[in-house]
Amino acid sequence: MEQDSIPSTRLSRIAALTGAGAKVGLNYLKHYGQRALGGGDVAGLHEQNASAVYDTFSRLKGGPLKLAQMLSIDQNLLPPAYAREFAQAQYSAPPLSYPLVARTFRREFGKSPTEIFDTFTQSAVQGASIGQVHRATLGGRSFAVKVQYPGVAESLQSDLRFIKPVALQIMGLSENQVAPYIAEVEQRLLEETDYALELARSIELSRLCAQLTNVRFPAYYSEYSSARILTSDWIDGLPLDRFADSDAPQASRDRIGQALWDFYEYQIHTLHLFHADPHPGNFLIRDDQLWVIDFGCTKKIEPDFHRRHFRFLDPSMLENRTLLEESLADLEVLRPSDSPELREKVITLCRESIAILGRPFRDGEFDFGDASFMREIYAIGEDSRQMSDLRKMEGARGSVHGIYTNRAYFGLYSLLARLRARVRTRMPG
Amino acid sequence: MDEEIRPPRQRLLDAYLRQLRETGHRPDSVWKFTSDLGLSEREFFENFSSLDVLESEVWRAQIDHVIQSVESGSEWTGFTARQRLLTFLFAWAEHSLDLRSVLLTRFGPLNPLQSPPWLDGFNRRFREFAKSIIAHGRSTGEIAGRGVLTRIYPDAFLTAFRTVIQFHLRDTSPSFERTDAFIEKTTALSFDLLHTQAIDSAFDLARFLVPSRDR
Repeated sequence: MEQDSIPSTRLSRIAALTGAGAKVGLNYLKHYGQRALGGGDVAGLHEQNASAVYDTFSRLKGGPLKLAQMLSIDQNLLPPAYAREFAQAQYSAPPLSYPLVARTFRREFGKSPTEIFDTFTQSAVQGASIGQVHRATLGGRSFAVKVQYPGVAESLQSDLRFIKPVALQIMGLSENQVAPYIAEVEQRLLEETDYALELARSIELSRLCAQLTNVRFPAYYSEYSSARILTSDWIDGLPLDRFADSDAPQASRDRIGQALWDFYEYQIHTLHLFHADPHPGNFLIRDDQLWVIDFGCTKKIEPDFHRRHFRFLDPSMLENRTLLEESLADLEVLRPSDSPELREKVITLCRESIAILGRPFRDGEFDFGDASFMREIYAIGEDSRQMSDLRKMEGARGSVHGIYTNRAYFGLYSLLARLRARVRTRMPG
Repeated sequence: MDEEIRPPRQRLLDAYLRQLRETGHRPDSVWKFTSDLGLSEREFFENFSSLDVLESEVWRAQIDHVIQSVESGSEWTGFTARQRLLTFLFAWAEHSLDLRSVLLTRFGPLNPLQSPPWLDGFNRRFREFAKSIIAHGRSTGEIAGRGVLTRIYPDAFLTAFRTVIQFHLRDTSPSFERTDAFIEKTTALSFDLLHTQAIDSAFDLARFLVPSRDR
């Protein structure tokens, strides 16, 4: 089926969302009815609402689903049931017909795909987050040509503006609670629709990282790229998740894991500009080397933020309570107005997180194949959600730059755990 | 080219389009129109029997130009019926950027089902093109044959095309990108309907609801 029906006019989108709102409302009514009778189960209620909202968002695709996904990045913002539903979401636009791909080419280059390339696949060989990839050849070279769905940037923008208040209401979050986070994520999402920026970042990062061992990048072709089309070499390789699930020997796993670790270490701690989407589909394995194929989502951090954020890796943080307290206040995780009990809870939770998340750095060599490590990380997240007073803390805490920095590290840890890789590490700085 | 050596027919057609663009409305009378051009009424009526017939030819020529340009494309013969219709609609959207002001004047006030006499040539040429696409779709299996009912397909395509034109005229997105998406979606819907039993069911329902005189 080339196209599922996507409610496209604004009116039908409103109608669909109102439908979800009504369903959530009904579930609440049922819940309160049950409670009046002595029953009632808040977790069950979240569960029901989450799938009602998710159904609606996935039918709308585009902006609303992206918004839902971005709210699920920081899992503490959402009740777990919502976060689980949305974490599964994999945004995919409906496939573009070949005539529309040809039209996009003519708009961007004044020529059709077959006037530029010797061969060009009429249907997409794979989906990309907001477009699709075609395979093309020219003079014996093979290319991956990513074509964006028309109007995706514009509709993302208007959807976000329009959907945000409705979505926040459905999920029971207040705008000012999450406003800075939403602004940050919105900006990253809009950047993803700008292929000209992606081209520039891809070329820049692959040049800067060229000296890393076992990390490879396809060449990018600016002459066949534009705001809507991005052309690079075609790389034949095994996606990282399939490699991880294969019977690859430990030595290969370690080599790929080390390449991944070095890639992120160099970007975050030396370049302060990094690939912020450690999704397994963005990496291919060929000849025991790691190929990085998608720079759609990148994040730049300032040296000052880097210093304040990564100083928590300093082992003395775990012993020296005053230092920890000062550093947390410095990042605005703690505020002078917080009650002593709340301070205590936050400090305890942060010390536990630092102890676990910093472990790979402290140990010098770390085995991500140890399944208990990831379980401990998940447990910390669960603990922090259970503490209801943490969720009630007024305003969002911590720097917005932390969202994608943490996402990059969390993603990196997950990939390494999946690879069951042993990695040599060192303290940054 | 020197105005005077071109045939009166072509001069009348060009002048008519120019007048629509300049004034936003049709000439008040044939006499006024021809005398402004330095032609006689006789020269007008030797070529066209009315202003409607002349305008009909103006629009037929526009659509014919787009059809010929897509049909001569190198990939055309390999395209499916759906790809052919899409290619035509995108080409029309592109071509109509040169005609936008006059399209707004003439098509703007219409709804997709209204068909004034000055659209006769346009409709005829499109139906002819639609028939060729449908025949191709029948041969590739994209379009199911339904006997007598198949005859309404060209009109269904025409309505879809006119809807695209109206959408395009109201589109305010940058580079009219929403029109591209609209073309994709309406064409997908049209072909899905022609491929499945939906049209049969609709026809069956209509036959049931419309009272029969024989009974």
